[in-house]
Amino acid sequence: MSQPELLDRIRSARITASPELRARVRAITAATPVASPPRREVPWRRWTLVLVPACLAVALVGALAVGLATSGKQRTQQARGGAGSTTGGFSSEAQRDTATPAAPPSAKAGGGAGLPTTPGRAQLYESELTLKVKSLSAATKRALRLTRSFDGYVRTVEYGSGAERGSAYLVLRVPVGSVQEAIVRFSALGEIIDQHVSIQDVQPQLDRRFRAMQTLRDAIARLQARLASPTLSADERKALENELVASRRQLLELQREQVRLQRQTSFATVSIALRSTAEAVAVPSDPGRIGRALDRSGSILLDEVKVVVYVLVVGAPLLALAALVLGGSHLRRRRTESRLLSTS
Amino acid sequence: MHAVAEVPSFASVAERHLDDVHAYLVYLTRDRGIAEDLTAETFERALRLWRRFDPRRGSARTWLCQLARTVALDHFRAEDRRRRREGAYAAADREPPEEGLFGGLSPELERALAALSAGEREVIALRVLLDLDGETAARVLGISVTACSTRLSRALKKLEERMSADVAA
Repeated sequence: MSQPELLDRIRSARITASPELRARVRAITAATPVASPPRREVPWRRWTLVLVPACLAVALVGALAVGLATSGKQRTQQARGGAGSTTGGFSSEAQRDTATPAAPPSAKAGGGAGLPTTPGRAQLYESELTLKVKSLSAATKRALRLTRSFDGYVRTVEYGSGAERGSAYLVLRVPVGSVQEAIVRFSALGEIIDQHVSIQDVQPQLDRRFRAMQTLRDAIARLQARLASPTLSADERKALENELVASRRQLLELQREQVRLQRQTSFATVSIALRSTAEAVAVPSDPGRIGRALDRSGSILLDEVKVVVYVLVVGAPLLALAALVLGGSHLRRRRTESRLLSTS
Repeated sequence: MHAVAEVPSFASVAERHLDDVHAYLVYLTRDRGIAEDLTAETFERALRLWRRFDPRRGSARTWLCQLARTVALDHFRAEDRRRRREGAYAAADREPPEEGLFGGLSPELERALAALSAGEREVIALRVLLDLDGETAARVLGISVTACSTRLSRALKKLEERMSADVAA
């Protein structure tokens, strides 16, 4: 018998379900709920097509938002610090209780860790760094970026031009808590030529002022008590009131000074002189808020990429293992099916 | 915008494709009683999964055949485990097929069909009996179209050889 004949005979044969089976299936279908719309199953490829751009968009928007928010904070801090962009040089605090001599010239980069601040004491911290850098522009930009990353602000930027080509001078204010790390990072910008660190302990000054304020508060309380007495003559009252006004004014003045000094001690001043033998390049301008936001967003995006790469590097072996296990189990299943179908 | 495909009622689908599913399972199992049980189980499972049926991805008949195949494979696995437990072998368990199992074919053809493996019979059932195209049959079997064609060709050749041998004997 030829194959076409065989096929014809097989096709012509009809296998029909018995009435019992038909009844069984009808009984099953009798429980059929009202035809509901099919569940919309989205294939994984479509999910990937949607999820990947969505994740990228979230990462981008997140970076931009954080960048914008951080750039705003930077400006607020700068305003609070009262730093004008062109006011010159160091603050003029005179007496210095301690002054550290310069580090040996030609100290190599990485050696400029600075001196540690004493926790719990108010200190005016100033550091001066002279660095030799390869690219003045890049080093200046990096120094500005580092300052922002430490939540500090720029007090002065002088970028060399004319006779001063090839040098830049920056005065930066960095939170005291981060100053040591900041100095280490600044030192890495180039080769250290010169370094000075100066720490002025102003805690006694603060304590003295605090005691004076307490004395004034006591005096004010006593004056108020005496003024409450009904036996005072008009002249006596007038004199006491004048004394009270003067004491209050004095207290206010002391409080202002105290706050100003405390604010000063919360930031360290880092002066960086950058020198380059190469020709000066484009002058880096103090970026506006958009510039800062974009700069910050770039850093955040870079961090996000690092995290993704890290996750991929760490997760890749696990993913490969999972793929192997899945593939193996799939293969095993297919083999079992094949065996079952060949023996049944 | 995609038009939402019309979904027929489950009862009408079951009524329309009951014979096909049953025939496929008869070919696969070579046993009418088991095929009936598996057919009922297939429709029970289909009822539970009816919400997942998407007519855009294939016909109801194809979907039911895929389900029937899964149900049959589950049955084969359970049988295999049982045989292993009891220390018996498949060959020892095999009984000659009942008469007229494959829909009243000649006894030689019935014997030849019964002598084929389940994998060979199912490809004949799908491609010849149910007249599915190569692509659909391959999807039901979970193999490529080429593999499906090869499997069919081998099965038919084997069937032809068995028939010739039977006639010669």
